Amino acid sequence: MHNMKKYLLTAMTLGVIAASSAAIIGLTNLITKDKILENEANKVKDGIVTLFGSEAEIKKEQSITDYKYVNYAYTITNATSTLDAYAFKTTGSNSYGKISLLIGFKKVATDYKFEAVSIIVDEQTFASTLEDNYISTINDGSRNIDDVTCGATYGATLVRDMIKDAQSVISSGILEG
Amino acid sequence: MAKEKGHTKLNLLKGIVIENPLFVSILGTCPALATTKSIEAAIGMGILFSIVLICSNVLISLLRKLIPEEIRTPSYIVVIATFVTMVKMLANAFLPELYSTLGVFISLIVVNCIVLGRAEAYASKNNVFDSFIDALGMGVGYTLALILMAFFREFLGTGGFTIGKVLPIVPQAMTLQIIPKGYEISLFQTPAGAFIVFGCILAVIAFINNRKNELKTNLERKEKIRKLNEAKAAAAKANNGGKK
Repeated sequence: MHNMKKYLLTAMTLGVIAASSAAIIGLTNLITKDKILENEANKVKDGIVTLFGSEAEIKKEQSITDYKYVNYAYTITNATSTLDAYAFKTTGSNSYGKISLLIGFKKVATDYKFEAVSIIVDEQTFASTLEDNYISTINDGSRNIDDVTCGATYGATLVRDMIKDAQSVISSGILEG
Repeated sequence: MAKEKGHTKLNLLKGIVIENPLFVSILGTCPALATTKSIEAAIGMGILFSIVLICSNVLISLLRKLIPEEIRTPSYIVVIATFVTMVKMLANAFLPELYSTLGVFISLIVVNCIVLGRAEAYASKNNVFDSFIDALGMGVGYTLALILMAFFREFLGTGGFTIGKVLPIVPQAMTLQIIPKGYEISLFQTPAGAFIVFGCILAVIAFINNRKNELKTNLERKEKIRKLNEAKAAAAKANNGGKK
């Protein structure tokens, strides 16, 4: 009986601590949620400017489901309609952490060609190696996207798969506008 | 009262100098190597780390008599993880650049051995005020250690210092370029450079400590010889007096 009381007390204490923690985290989430979403939206806007220049603007936003990495597709244009491009917001993770990217494709002649990648969130352990050795080199065209051996190969493989996922969204024909 | 003040001062200084978590206890080295590419990132990491350490130490000290022995460690981990999650969310919302720069290393504060170590070794046995001072000392000590490492890495690796890029201290980011472009040693911006800087700082500290110990030993030896000579002189004097 004495042992039972002790076990109950121990379980209750841990339960109370866990419940209080959950409540505090929930409250913090409530306070920060909107601001985090606003920051992410700003990062998408900044990313589009980085990818396509300051004239670029979002013409249409489309939510994408059924794809492993792509969450949103943005149809991009400019004031004179000379720009025809797509940007994809993608999110993926591996054992080294999460990464969220904005991937740009620009229409050249009849096809949409890969333009560049802009980072929204990079929580990979080898984030700087991935950014310096892979992302910046595929952005300036000095590296082929399939060449993932770069010192952060797992991260680069994930980025490559995200780009290919975005490519398959374009070729599927589900994009409107 | 004066004794208490002295104790508080010693408790604070212990974390900053005598038991510096990074340079003396060699704890928390992983984030120290990863987040010291720039002084701003080091300051940011130090502040976030200190907030978690202070809050968890104070709360654990408050709850120390209520938490049963059997669930001590899991309870401490839950408390620390809660503060880390809060700090992570707040950094993501209000310091997005710092959040992006530190990345996964904010979450990794949960498994930082300094935080759990201070909870286990100090906060669980001492009152709230002492635990607060201990955490403050350790937090400041760790932050200063990160800044020292970042100073060398940023200066040698980029040739200057940048402010306002990661922390919103000034409205627009500014770079002070001291070493001309092309003459900087970018190795210091890589993990290998971090190890080299860390090793050099530890070597300097070990050299200073060795010199201190040598001086202390020499002084002790001199004192012993002096005492021995004094004793010999006294004995000789006594012998001479006896002869007379």
